[in-house]
Amino acid sequence: MGLRLRLYVAGNAPNSVRAIANAKAICDEHFAAAHDLEIVDMLEQPGRALADGIIVTPTLLKLMPLPVQRVIGNLSDKDQVLLALTGT
Amino acid sequence: MTATNVLHTSDLAQRLVEAEATIEALLSGQIDAVVDSKSQTPVLLSKAQQALRESEERYRQIVEATTDGIIKIDAGARIVFVNRRFAEMLGYEPPELIGRSVFDLMSAAAQLSARDVFDQHGQGKVDAVDTTLHHKDGSDIWVNIAGSPLFDGAGRHVGNLGVVRNVTERQKLQSQLMVSDRMASVGTLAAGVAHEINNPLAAVMANLEFMADSLATMGPHPNATWLLGELKEPLEEAREAAQMVRLIVRDLKIFSRSPADEPTGAVDVKEIMESSVRMAWNEIRHRAQLVKHYGVVPAVKANEARLGQVFLNLLVNAAQALPEGRAEYHEIRVSTRLDGERVVIEVGDTGAGIRPEIIGRIFDAFFTTKAVGEGTGLGLAICHRIVTDMGGELTVESEPGKGATFRVALPVADEPESTVAVPVEASLAIGRRGRILVVDDEELVLRGVQRMLVKEHSVVAVTTAAGALALCAAGDKFDVILCDLMMPDMTGMDFHAELSRVAPHLADRVIFMTGGAFTARAQKFLSETPKEHIEKPFHAANLRAIIQRYLR
Repeated sequence: MGLRLRLYVAGNAPNSVRAIANAKAICDEHFAAAHDLEIVDMLEQPGRALADGIIVTPTLLKLMPLPVQRVIGNLSDKDQVLLALTGT
Repeated sequence: MTATNVLHTSDLAQRLVEAEATIEALLSGQIDAVVDSKSQTPVLLSKAQQALRESEERYRQIVEATTDGIIKIDAGARIVFVNRRFAEMLGYEPPELIGRSVFDLMSAAAQLSARDVFDQHGQGKVDAVDTTLHHKDGSDIWVNIAGSPLFDGAGRHVGNLGVVRNVTERQKLQSQLMVSDRMASVGTLAAGVAHEINNPLAAVMANLEFMADSLATMGPHPNATWLLGELKEPLEEAREAAQMVRLIVRDLKIFSRSPADEPTGAVDVKEIMESSVRMAWNEIRHRAQLVKHYGVVPAVKANEARLGQVFLNLLVNAAQALPEGRAEYHEIRVSTRLDGERVVIEVGDTGAGIRPEIIGRIFDAFFTTKAVGEGTGLGLAICHRIVTDMGGELTVESEPGKGATFRVALPVADEPESTVAVPVEASLAIGRRGRILVVDDEELVLRGVQRMLVKEHSVVAVTTAAGALALCAAGDKFDVILCDLMMPDMTGMDFHAELSRVAPHLADRVIFMTGGAFTARAQKFLSETPKEHIEKPFHAANLRAIIQRYLR
């Protein structure tokens, strides 16, 4: 079962840029075989952010596998991100 | 009640975890944007943060770049902020001062007035005061503090803001100005007195010399030997006394001239030192024996009035370093020597010396070891400044218990001394007989000079320059014209100018007699004219020697 992620960012704001880079690096390293990382700019699609209950960016949503998990911040703490993604 | 209205505890826990994570991310600056809860639209955080940072930076730059110190205290007088300039003023790093009571930086007296000021601040008053603050090294610095109260939104007095300016230099200058003002007025007075004394003194000296000469040349008169025996000693003593008056008046003149009137020139340090010693003699004689070692030194480039002030100060300081009444056990040593391109003058004492911890500060203004009221702490500071202004150096050397030696090093003058000193023991040999015109508004002086010269020369005496001019214009011939410089109707300078017009061949024959009080014009005239001048009161021998030079 693949990993489905959605990363909400705010344009090219510094933490957002960093979060995108960190998310990609973690996916490539740990989930290279099967993952789907969608990046959503909250400034362009605020409706989607509202629908997902996002109140700050960057926020990483783990949609699949369940349960849904949120990681808030620029994802520089790799261990914390992995913990949220794998649930272990 | 439906299940949809119930928040499962697991959801609640999840939300709490997320809220904590959000707060943490916000605090650590990892958040770029938030959704505004009212408008439900995202707001970029970085712009607001950036603006705040820029604004902060702008204020920080202003506060740190200002040349004034800035201090903020709370209502309890604890320091909550200082800029770097303030900390540097007192020799601290800013963090060392935060949290301390501002009263720690003040003397007891300053604390009292500061408390008053803070009370007034509480009532919203703003003002500026001059006060002192303690430097970290223990010294006090003078500051001007412009204070204003700070209030919170509810109008409560929460502290004070002070803009602090270091005015130590200004205070020093003011005190120096006050001292030099006082000296200048004393000087003006002294110059006036000197002039008044010199004229009658010239008459006294001329007549004493005349009497002595007359006695000596009485020849084979029956009473001559008896008279000579009876009168020789009192006459000699009267001459000595008159000579002392002459020296005192000359000393007064040295200390009265202001630096502007008298630029630097070639000066004989020994002569100045001797003057200073005479003035300080009363201080010296009860405390020490004076030992002089005058090496042969060239003239120095200096202002004699200022140099006299320096020497006098050093001598008085040396004397005051010694206890009274034990003069046989103590010495004050005065010496001159040449050291390369500089003349070194030393004034040393055998007192207690200067403690090493304060020797670095003794040239600072206001630094004094004397009791309150005995010294202003300005003497050495002014000396230092005077010597430095002349291109010289004032230094001190001291070993505790072995006295102190102050050393003045001055550059050698590149020009020769301006006044040609005529030795007092000039030849009495009578030379050629000449015809002399003497012009002086003081009849006593006139008659004295006349008596002094009348045996060797034919002397014509007049009391006005106009009268003298009339004689010259009428074709009267004179070998020498002795003319007073300062006369009420026509000055010696005007007389000389007029003489150059009506009888140019006689203009070269003028010798000026000066009494002491010079106007700026007279000063300038004397320094520029090649004409010779002789200072009243003069010795008959000097006058005769000068006149003989004109007759050759």
